[in-house]
Amino acid sequence: MRSLLDYLVKYSYVFLFILLEILSLVLLFGFNDRQKLAFVTSANSVSGSIYELFSNVDVYFNLRRENTLLVEENARLRSMLYELTDSQTVDSARNMSRDGVIAARVIDNSVRKDDNYMTVNKGSNDGVGKGMGVYNSTGVIGVIMASGKSYSVVMPILNGNTSISSKIKGTDNFGFLEWSGGDPYTAQLKDVPYHSNVEVGDTVVTTGFSSVFPENITIGTVADVQRLSNGYTLKILVSLAVDMSDLGWVYIHSKTVDPEIIDLQKQLK
Amino acid sequence: MDTFMRRFGTFVFVALMQILFLNRISLFGYVTPLFYIWLIVRFDSYMKRTSMLLWAFSLGLVMDMFSGTPGLNAASATLLAMVQPGIVKMFVQTERYEQLFPSSATMGGRPFAGYLLLMTVLHHTTYFLLRSIPLGDWSVLVLKVIFSTLLTFIFMIVAERLTSSSGTKR
Repeated sequence: MRSLLDYLVKYSYVFLFILLEILSLVLLFGFNDRQKLAFVTSANSVSGSIYELFSNVDVYFNLRRENTLLVEENARLRSMLYELTDSQTVDSARNMSRDGVIAARVIDNSVRKDDNYMTVNKGSNDGVGKGMGVYNSTGVIGVIMASGKSYSVVMPILNGNTSISSKIKGTDNFGFLEWSGGDPYTAQLKDVPYHSNVEVGDTVVTTGFSSVFPENITIGTVADVQRLSNGYTLKILVSLAVDMSDLGWVYIHSKTVDPEIIDLQKQLK
Repeated sequence: MDTFMRRFGTFVFVALMQILFLNRISLFGYVTPLFYIWLIVRFDSYMKRTSMLLWAFSLGLVMDMFSGTPGLNAASATLLAMVQPGIVKMFVQTERYEQLFPSSATMGGRPFAGYLLLMTVLHHTTYFLLRSIPLGDWSVLVLKVIFSTLLTFIFMIVAERLTSSSGTKR
């Protein structure tokens, strides 16, 4: 009995090893629910605040460019405001009031991996939640994947799991924007019907079908159109409007969905 | 306590180096140096096996927190810490192992380089294997392992030069 105990103590590290490996593998393969991810990724407050500390220095070097972008955006918003007072109906104005915009700053970012992620400095305390769209004055960036209290992780277009409902501006030809690694300036628009009249240089925008993004936010321009041999859909290369490697302030689109729509969708499921 | 603090210093150093600098390097889209295993490479033969495992596991977990890969670094770092003593023994004569702090001064330049290379290959293979499950393209996986190993190896040689020339034993 005594020798068995000695034996166990002597080789206790083997048990510890097995325990730690099991723990790691559970973490690695058990996190199917992306919401839980917030806990172990940079959405948690420790790593979030370290990233924020260092990006506070970066911010000063970009002030001039950020200012220019803000001024441009202001101008555009002003012009939209005038249009709104001129022509919009009361009904669409009521719809718009449900759309909220939260401004956030990107504090960590990657563009050169297979699956990129970025971290922004707003979290559930600021009203940010999973599934909200992220964009800036030049175009669409990605979708919130998980939120901690004060930070959130964004799954940008440059991630293999991202799929954004998009259309050619001015038409109803829509498809899904995806990215398969490599070039961080180009993504693919899939599932657009074969007969669609798409030309190089056309603008690609969001559809607004889901509550993720408002309608008609720029995504990019068509760089190339390939007719797939299956004869059903087009493969469209889109050069992205946003330079993903150079991001400062972003907007997070929070839309309160009409309860009636949620009810209908629940009935279907 | 002194050795604990020194090791903790190395821990913070490799962690910050990896998070703030090396994680942003990504040659050809997928070659990233994983220099943080330097902490594990430098484990000496006085250490308890259990404390080796705990150090490596915590470092891996911290790495995972910052790169959005829960469990990935923790699993590969813990495995590396488990095999580290065995690998050191492969590169030195048995009688000298009794008191060994792995470095080019104690092991000799060539054996130490061989030791570094084998450690890096082992770690990077497990890392990229686990990372790419479900396994898709084998050739890309092999390329990732080879080039990342080379890059990590270079960083570790530089670190060895710096620590040995300044006389401080990290």
